[in-house]
Amino acid sequence: MQDILLDVRRVSKSFGGNKVLDNVSFSVGRGEIVALLGHNGSGKSTLVKILAGAYSLDAGEIKHGAVGDVELHFIHQTLGLVASLTVAENLDLGLSHPWCGLMPVRRAQERRRIQAMLTKFGVTFSPDAIVAGLTAADRTIVAIVRALAGWKHGNHVLVLDEPTATLHGEEIDRLKGAVRTVAAQGAGVIYITHRLGEAEELADRAIVLKNGVKILEEARGAFTHDSLVRAIAGANAQTRSRRASPPRRSALLEVRGLAGASLRSATFHAREGEILGVSGLVGSGMERLNGAVFGAFPTSGGVVLVGGAPIALGSPRSAIRAGVAYVPADRRARASIGHFSARENLTLARMRDIRRPWGAIDRALERQEALAWMDRLRVTPGGQIEQAFDLFSGGNQQKIVLAKWLRMQPRVFLIDEPTQGVDAGAQTEIYELLVKAARAGAAVVVASSDTKELAHICDRALVMRDGAVSAELSGADISESALISAIIDDFSDARADCRVKPLRYV
Amino acid sequence: MALNVLRYLSFRNASALWVMVAIVLYFSYSIPETFLAARTWKSLLDAQAIVAITAIALVVPLSAGVFNLAIGAQVGVASIMIGWLLVPAGLPILVSVLVTLVASAAIGFLISVLIVGFRIDSFIATLGASSLLLAFVTFISGGRQILKMPRALVDFGTDRIFGLTYPFLVMLAIAIAVWYVLERTPLGRRIYATGGSLEAARLSGIHVVAIVVGAMTASGLLTGIAGALMTARLGNADPTIGPAFMLPAFTAAFLGSTQFHHGRFNVPGTVLSVYVLAAGVKGLQLSGVPTWVTDGFDGAALLIAVGLASAARSGSAKSLWRRFLRPRRTTLQIEAERPRPVGT
Repeated sequence: MQDILLDVRRVSKSFGGNKVLDNVSFSVGRGEIVALLGHNGSGKSTLVKILAGAYSLDAGEIKHGAVGDVELHFIHQTLGLVASLTVAENLDLGLSHPWCGLMPVRRAQERRRIQAMLTKFGVTFSPDAIVAGLTAADRTIVAIVRALAGWKHGNHVLVLDEPTATLHGEEIDRLKGAVRTVAAQGAGVIYITHRLGEAEELADRAIVLKNGVKILEEARGAFTHDSLVRAIAGANAQTRSRRASPPRRSALLEVRGLAGASLRSATFHAREGEILGVSGLVGSGMERLNGAVFGAFPTSGGVVLVGGAPIALGSPRSAIRAGVAYVPADRRARASIGHFSARENLTLARMRDIRRPWGAIDRALERQEALAWMDRLRVTPGGQIEQAFDLFSGGNQQKIVLAKWLRMQPRVFLIDEPTQGVDAGAQTEIYELLVKAARAGAAVVVASSDTKELAHICDRALVMRDGAVSAELSGADISESALISAIIDDFSDARADCRVKPLRYV
Repeated sequence: MALNVLRYLSFRNASALWVMVAIVLYFSYSIPETFLAARTWKSLLDAQAIVAITAIALVVPLSAGVFNLAIGAQVGVASIMIGWLLVPAGLPILVSVLVTLVASAAIGFLISVLIVGFRIDSFIATLGASSLLLAFVTFISGGRQILKMPRALVDFGTDRIFGLTYPFLVMLAIAIAVWYVLERTPLGRRIYATGGSLEAARLSGIHVVAIVVGAMTASGLLTGIAGALMTARLGNADPTIGPAFMLPAFTAAFLGSTQFHHGRFNVPGTVLSVYVLAAGVKGLQLSGVPTWVTDGFDGAALLIAVGLASAARSGSAKSLWRRFLRPRRTTLQIEAERPRPVGT
């Protein structure tokens, strides 16, 4: 076998009794590309953080091979580039400079050096290009080149964490080329991805994690698309809690050809009284769908009908008037005013019904209303309606945000990541609230990256890919493994026909 | 009830009130014959009325999240404009006042168009507007004072009822009206929400553009009143007074935000701050301290009050020190991006 650069041996890690990594071993050799696969919560990101030294190990060890010191370099999804600086300036940031950086920059020499590095990756932009103006793939390549720039010896491992999550079409091919170039220079590569197509094409070896355990490790030629799908999706023990499926009622929310940002053309409908799940990988448009329907994000086309009547796109006010409520995933920055009290947050979306005839807020009535809602949703600490929103725990913050919208008795309830950062107890209560809202006749649309959650509460589920709905599951077909298979199974997906413009920094 | 009043007046909630008590006690002891004279207090209440109106005019946009650096220049424009309309142009008082108020509101509106229409950061937009307004003041006045204001206007600026001047009473009326809107109405709630988080307010169905435009227009109207009263009090229109209002207004608004509402800009705290600072400065002046001490008093009061308030929000003073001495670990990501040898 070739030189081993990195050897991970029997690594385990628990968080408060919850085992996230269990006896995981693998190695990375010189010039080898290892694909690390697994669905959300499989332990991939914990493993990366352990490699980076951000988490300590409970058991096991991480060793470098016989070749001497090995350096690890990490490329995260956020890349860590300064968007307003040029490529050359960004590449310079990682280097150490004599005289506390006060020596003048030798620009000509620097340019030549950087141009040589860029040429190796076959890119066309100049070292003087501003990073913000590059495509997403080019930015990722700059990050890779920056990682390479500090290399003084040959023993390096590059860890790429979902580098293609926000890329499309030929951009992905360019990035794959860059990764091959890195491996060809003798470095080891750990390539973390959700997209099976890429793993199949690039990987010399594929490793699948599931619930913290390595359940598959096979070399190129041994693994197949089907074996990977089976390993990742697997048979999950969780069965969905069977509720009486709602009677087939009319579509309350209809969305046709909605486009904008990562949405290409989303068409779907949600019926009165049902909970509709939306799933997909990061960058598939899943995380943008609800916001675009509500008008939180600018859209470039499409129609949204509520109860048969069209609403103005891009205007939360007209959506709210039509009876649409929206809970964004970022609770603190977008769903609430942090320094407002629970009471003030609760009544913010509708103050008409607590107003006195001459325009002032009826403060006694408002307090009463806030107390009643906090009591109904069992927000703790109870009765603390004057406490600042920021001081509540995640689960209670989410309950306050839900109360704010449930107060309006919405006809369409759009929610992103309803239980992110919420403790288990509050999670169950939030599910109950959503079910109750649906029973009351609302169309509830839940966009979530948690497939277990979707399998648990949804009557119907959509799967998104490349900005459009690619699959629909309903009734008994919804299970966690069915969802994961539908999300990751991109074998039949012809990427070439995808015509999405590259994402740009705003 | 009594407990509520006590809590409202506690040091935690209204430290400026207790600082005021300390100032009064100290100077009553050290310089009783001048500091306790009724004349001193009457002139104090009157002289600070216009600063207080300006500070209230600033609280409105600050609450909506707009940093209005043009506030002083806006007062200056109104002050010179009414003087110009009355004397060189010779218009009747009522017409001049109305034109001044409408024009002042229009200036506020135009600045808000720069902010929401052209998407210029409020800091920059108001800084630029401030310079333009100052140029306009010099243009119509030629850099000279406009003298000989009509008798009726000067009387309004200086006459007293029950020992209180009209400017002071106007200030009280404005303070009550703005306080009511900000703290008792849905509109006020929406203004504070917009200032708290523009995106969260928009997603709650608040028309944030209308809020910002409205707040700046109302602020403009209030600076019009302040400027007109200034000219009435002085008996002439001075082209140089405008910018001098900016610093005291900001000091009072920020100091006021540490009172009563724990970090929220508010009218009672702002008006109280205006008078606490003025009482302190007055006492120092009467004690015959060098002139530089009074400037130092304003600055120190603001920094100490705001510094203590933000320390109270972010934990104890001890933890504040600790943060300075040992910077917290940076985010996971930055930490993770640094290449590190394996096997340590």
